[in-house]
Amino acid sequence: MKILTIAIKDLWRSFRSFFALAFMFGVPILMTLMFAFLFGGIGGEDSEFSIPTTDVLFVNKDEGNSLVSNFESNGEQFTTMGELLLDTLEQDDFADIMTLSSATESEARTMVDEQHAGLALIIPKDFTTILIGQGDSPTEIEFYKDPELSLGPQVVQSIVMSVVDGFSSGSLTLDTVNAVLQGQGITLTQSDQISLMQNSSTEMGFEEVGSTSNLNIISPATVQTSENQSSPLQTILRSIMAGMMIFYAFFTGTSAAQTILQEEENGTLARLFISPTSTATILNGKFLAGFLMIIVQVTVLLVFANLVFDIQWGALFPLILASIGLVALATSFGILVMSLVKGTKQAGIIYGTVLTFTGMLGISSVFVIGTPIEEAFNYLPLIVPQGWAMNAFRASWQGNWVQTLINTAGMLALAVAFFLIGNARFKKRFS
Amino acid sequence: MNQIAVKVEDLDKSFEEVHAVNNVSFEIQTGEIFSLLGPNGAGKTTTIGMISGLLTPDAGQVWLMGHSVQKNPKAAKAELGVVPQEIALYDDISARANLNFWGKMYGLRGQALSERVDEVLALVGLEDRQTGKVSKFSGGMQRRLNVGIALLHEPQVIIMDEPTVGIDPQSRRKILDSVKHLCDQGVTILYTTHYMEEAQELSDRIAIMDYGKIVAMGTHEELINIVGELDRITLSMSAESSEVVTLFQGIKGIKEISAEDNTINMLVTDSNQILPDIFETASSVDVRINAVDIQEPNLEAVFLHLTGRALRD
Repeated sequence: MKILTIAIKDLWRSFRSFFALAFMFGVPILMTLMFAFLFGGIGGEDSEFSIPTTDVLFVNKDEGNSLVSNFESNGEQFTTMGELLLDTLEQDDFADIMTLSSATESEARTMVDEQHAGLALIIPKDFTTILIGQGDSPTEIEFYKDPELSLGPQVVQSIVMSVVDGFSSGSLTLDTVNAVLQGQGITLTQSDQISLMQNSSTEMGFEEVGSTSNLNIISPATVQTSENQSSPLQTILRSIMAGMMIFYAFFTGTSAAQTILQEEENGTLARLFISPTSTATILNGKFLAGFLMIIVQVTVLLVFANLVFDIQWGALFPLILASIGLVALATSFGILVMSLVKGTKQAGIIYGTVLTFTGMLGISSVFVIGTPIEEAFNYLPLIVPQGWAMNAFRASWQGNWVQTLINTAGMLALAVAFFLIGNARFKKRFS
Repeated sequence: MNQIAVKVEDLDKSFEEVHAVNNVSFEIQTGEIFSLLGPNGAGKTTTIGMISGLLTPDAGQVWLMGHSVQKNPKAAKAELGVVPQEIALYDDISARANLNFWGKMYGLRGQALSERVDEVLALVGLEDRQTGKVSKFSGGMQRRLNVGIALLHEPQVIIMDEPTVGIDPQSRRKILDSVKHLCDQGVTILYTTHYMEEAQELSDRIAIMDYGKIVAMGTHEELINIVGELDRITLSMSAESSEVVTLFQGIKGIKEISAEDNTINMLVTDSNQILPDIFETASSVDVRINAVDIQEPNLEAVFLHLTGRALRD
């Protein structure tokens, strides 16, 4: 009961502090808003994502397949699925994102190398064969990118993959329909089959993925398929918002733990020790205060991001797991950091330096998406606790349960270790 | 027969090379006001720290209402209220919120807590300011709230560590009156101060501390008897005083004399009889006396007698 009394008192005091509220909610929201305005919108249907238009060179090596040598889609005639893909990408919907032109493979690679184009999209010769389920061996779509550009080519890649995944889903649908109709003695024409494939993929809204297609992607950076559920703006803002939330959750945890030092200097901690209250109860009350404070912070930021930026955080359970891990880790890290410093003056410097460094490193993967160093930043941030939190949230919204569980378990293990060390140091100090 | 409320036995505490408390022992009867008097750094606060369980003694034992502070701290602390020397309040919340919090830390809840908070607010004269943020209070009001928190759970023993330092006369008077009021209710009070007048006004018994040791202990009268019925004269001289001291030592009736810079302290049998001789002697060596202060025998004189130093040095 006394633990709760101490925690409620600390919560009450914190939520009356303008500085604490600004760091808990104001700054992370403002930072995300800043990025949102930088990209030209704050989400919702009316928002426009003003990424610079990417010059895309379309290399169609698709040789088609005799089973679908000539088919019609939306009133137009096509001979290969590569042509259909080009036609789909030339829709007005994508005009602001990419300008398409055809080229040979060597021309395209040269143009990208010389930075006259941002991306070469190289369609393999057996593209149609694979999509209609006639191919035996896997084939590859290659995204040949300008390494100095990240956002534009990444967005284009994301769109192409959505469309191709849609075709793959349509192919599955076609197989099913064919099997049913053939059982009734009916055979579809080639045009009907293509139309069915395309309609099926359109109905899927590019949302259903994970088909059994033999298509592989060659690209320096592969966008996870379930991220395609969000718009490119929301995808980017989600990473930024998560990063900011993690960064400032650690500030809240440390700030909550700093109240131990503040109370020591103000004399109220001595007064608590004089009362019939054990040291463990007092420290646990402080831990609970930080824990509750970060729960409120994370909940508010997640909900706010969803309502205002239209950010989709994925399934609820993995999100809760990642959030609990973050809350426990940020709180215990604060206890550890504050147990290492002597007073609030020293704490201010240590706090700022340690949290800024570990925080920036931990969420650095957000800022290197689509760059050549992205791969390294999948692991490097794990040397700091914030990196584990970032990975857990990313795995959570990607629907990767295994990674979510692994990262959450890692966070909880670190949290226990930090808490035990910090607690032991404080107990020794106050004994 | 009165019960022993506080028993301190052979307490000892050192901080690195400083022997802060040196083998201190005393007992306080229930309902008694017992003062620890001594200059800053005498070891009063360290002694109190060990009695309240905040500091662990290097040696010795403390019992509060029969409970050992070292062996049964929870029971002992439940009997104790402490008014710390420094103001220890949450200044970003209201007086009432402070009292509510500290009341809960001593196990008070619900209606009992609410009623007790009202009583304490009335006792320390802060009913009208109970919802005000503590940071907006004057120093005296904060001191009164600081005292009030220690009274919340109606402890049997209250330790007050220099509760009147740096406050206005009105707040000081209020605190001294509240100490007397508590004593009338049978509460045992251990009071530390370096204000001789406070110790003199409040205390049933006084222990004088210096350099970590109790140098004298007893009632006011018992302590005064240590120096006898001697007056204390303090002279401010126009020049360095050590030369004159030698001459003064020859005057009949001066029992003790010490000098520091231009000030001379002396204990004399009859100040009225001796003063003319003092002026004459000073005049003979062309030293002018700028000011004279005469005091009847008091604790200051006792301290000077026992330690050779003034209490406020």
